[in-house]
Amino acid sequence: MKTASIALMLILALAGMSCSTTTEHSRNLADPRISGKTLAQQVCSNCHGIDGNSVNPNFPRLAGQQKEYMIAQLKQFKSHSRFDPPGFEYMWGLSRNLTDKQVDELASYFSAQKGLADKPDDTKREENGRDIFEHGVAVQNIPACLTCHGMDAAGNGTFPRLAGQHADYLIKQLKVFQRTDERPEGAIMKVITHDDLTLDNIENVAAYLATLSTK
Amino acid sequence: MGRYMIHCAGVSFVFVLTLGLLLPGTAEAVPAFARQRGQNCVACHAGGQFPELTPYGRIFKLTGYTLGERTLPLSVMGVLNANKVKVNDSTQGHTQDGNLIFNTASLFIAGKVTDNIGGFAQITYNNYDTLNPDNSRWTGHSGADNMDFRYADRYINDKQDLIFGLSLNNNPTVQDVWMSAPAWGPATVPGSTGAGGGTLPKLADGLGQQVAGLGAYVYWNQTVYAEITGYKTGDGIFSFMTQGVNKDHGPQTYLKGTNPYWRLALTHAWGPHNGMLGVSGMNVKIYPDSTDPTGPTDRYRDLSLDAQYQYLLDPHTITAQASYIHEKQNLFTNLAAVNPSDTVNSFRAKMSYVYQAKYGATLSYFDVHGSTNNNPNTDTRGWTPEIFWTPLQYVRIGLQYTLFDKVNGLSGNTDGAGRNAKDDNTLLFYVWGAY
Repeated sequence: MKTASIALMLILALAGMSCSTTTEHSRNLADPRISGKTLAQQVCSNCHGIDGNSVNPNFPRLAGQQKEYMIAQLKQFKSHSRFDPPGFEYMWGLSRNLTDKQVDELASYFSAQKGLADKPDDTKREENGRDIFEHGVAVQNIPACLTCHGMDAAGNGTFPRLAGQHADYLIKQLKVFQRTDERPEGAIMKVITHDDLTLDNIENVAAYLATLSTK
Repeated sequence: MGRYMIHCAGVSFVFVLTLGLLLPGTAEAVPAFARQRGQNCVACHAGGQFPELTPYGRIFKLTGYTLGERTLPLSVMGVLNANKVKVNDSTQGHTQDGNLIFNTASLFIAGKVTDNIGGFAQITYNNYDTLNPDNSRWTGHSGADNMDFRYADRYINDKQDLIFGLSLNNNPTVQDVWMSAPAWGPATVPGSTGAGGGTLPKLADGLGQQVAGLGAYVYWNQTVYAEITGYKTGDGIFSFMTQGVNKDHGPQTYLKGTNPYWRLALTHAWGPHNGMLGVSGMNVKIYPDSTDPTGPTDRYRDLSLDAQYQYLLDPHTITAQASYIHEKQNLFTNLAAVNPSDTVNSFRAKMSYVYQAKYGATLSYFDVHGSTNNNPNTDTRGWTPEIFWTPLQYVRIGLQYTLFDKVNGLSGNTDGAGRNAKDDNTLLFYVWGAY
C-alpha cells in the first residue's frame, strides 16, 4: 500500500511539474519558443528592473531606450563584438542563444517602458553638464552631445537615449569609449571623447543626463 | 508537514532530478551554474567572493537554479591549506603544524533540470577526516555535503512579483540566500577556525548532513521572504543526503518526528545598496542515544535575528552580516538538575571589502556563550581578520588569523594546565579553487 501511494504521489508530482512548466514563466534562455516579454520579466528584470528602471547603477536603465540601439547591443553581445567587462561578465552568456525574434521582442518591451530620472542634487555640476551636452567644449573640439542624441537626449535609432541614465553607468561607458576599444560599434565616441574630455567634464555631463526627464 | 509527505515529495525530487541529469544537454565547461547562464562568477557572487550572493544570485537560487539553459551539471572544488596554531596542541596532530596540505575536494552535481526544477548536490572528500589515536595517522573519506533540490515558479508582471518554491535540503539554513544564515557564514572558507571549540546552537551546527528537510517558501515583491521547513532524520530514502558522514564519527543524529524551521525576512534595495533584516527559529528534538530512538528527547529551541547589508557598485563591494542566535536547551541528562534548562548564545558578525572582485579584506567577530549545567564550559570569543586575492574567478588565495579572547570561557589557564586563550590563535593560509 505504501509503495502504491508513493508511486501515485510520484506520478501526480511529475504531472503537476510538467503542467506547470509553461513557456509563460520560463527562464530558459535556449528555448526559441519563449517570448521576449517573458524573458524580459523572468530574466532581464533581475538586474534592469521589471519596467527597465534598474535600481543598482551597475546596470543601465533600459526603459524608453531606443529599440534599434538595444537590438544592436544584444547582437554585439551575442557576437562578442562588445567586450567591456560588464558586457562579457553578464551579457555574453545571456544573449548567446537569443533568436532575432526574441531580440526584437526584448527591445520592444523595454523601449515601450517609461524612463525615470534622478532628482537634481548638484546644480553647479548639472549646469556645467548641460552646457557640454548642448554646446560641446569648443576649445577642445568636442561637439555637442545633442547633435546625435537629440535635443532632449531621447536618442535616435542606434544613437542611444541618455536621458535618465544612471550617472555612474554613463561615466563608466564614456571611459570605455575614451580609453579602450571594447565597444567597436561606438568607435565614433572614441573620437568625440578623445583625451581632452576631462574626467570632471565626463562627470558633469553624466550628472546632468541622469536628471534629465523626457518622454 | 507529515513525515510521509516529506518522504513522497523526496522520492519525486530525486527521480525527476536523476532523470533530468541523465538527459542530454549542451555540454559546457564548469562551475556549472555560471556556465548554465554563460556568466562570470561575479554576476551571482558579491565581488566574486563565493559563496556570498548578489541580489541576482539570490533570485537565481530562489527560482530553483533554473535560469539559463541545461549544461553539463558538474563542478569540482578543492582546498589546499596550512594551519598554524600559536602554541601547538599535540592532540590535534598534523592539521596544526603549518605545512600545506590537501584538505578537501568536492564534486558538485548542479544545475537546471527543467524550467521549474534544479538543484545542487555536493559530495566532499575530507583528507583529514579521522585521526587514528593508535598510530596518529589521519584517514580520509568521502561523504555527502550540502544538498539543495528545488521546485520553483515565478509570477511576475509590472504589478507584482511572486516567487514560490519547495526546497529539499540536508542542512538547516543551507537553503537561505543571505550570508548571515549560519550554513553560509561567516566562516565560509573550508578549514576556517570559525568559533573554535565553542558549542554553537543547533541551528548553526550539528544537524548538517544528519537530517533531511522539505520546505516551502515565498518571496513577494522582493520585499518579504517567508519559509517553513520540516526536518527529520536523514535516513531511508534520504540516506543519500547523509551518506558517509558518520563513518568513524559515531551514529547519526536521530531526530524525533518532523522538526520545524521557519524564516521571515524583509529586504530592500536602493541605489547600489541592499539590506535584509531577518528572524528565524527552529525546534529540534533529538534522541540522546541515537542507537535507541525511543523515550525522552533532548529539546532545543532556537531563535535567531540576523541582518545583511551590501554595497555593490563596480569596482567596490562592501558587505556586512550579523547574526544572533539564542538557544534554549532542555537536555534529558539535566532533567533532574536544579535548573534543567541551559542556554547557548551565539553572536557572529562579518564585514568585507573587495576591490575589482580581486582584492579583499574581511573582519569577523564571534562570541559564543551560555550556561552549561554539568557540562564543560566551551565559550569562545575572538576576531578573525583576513585578506584574500582572487587572481582568476575560479581561484581564491587567502590568509586569515583568528585571535581568541576567550577559550573554554576563560582568558587564561583555559585547560587547567596553564594554556592561555591566545595560545589557540590560528593562522590559516588557503588556496581555494572551483571549476
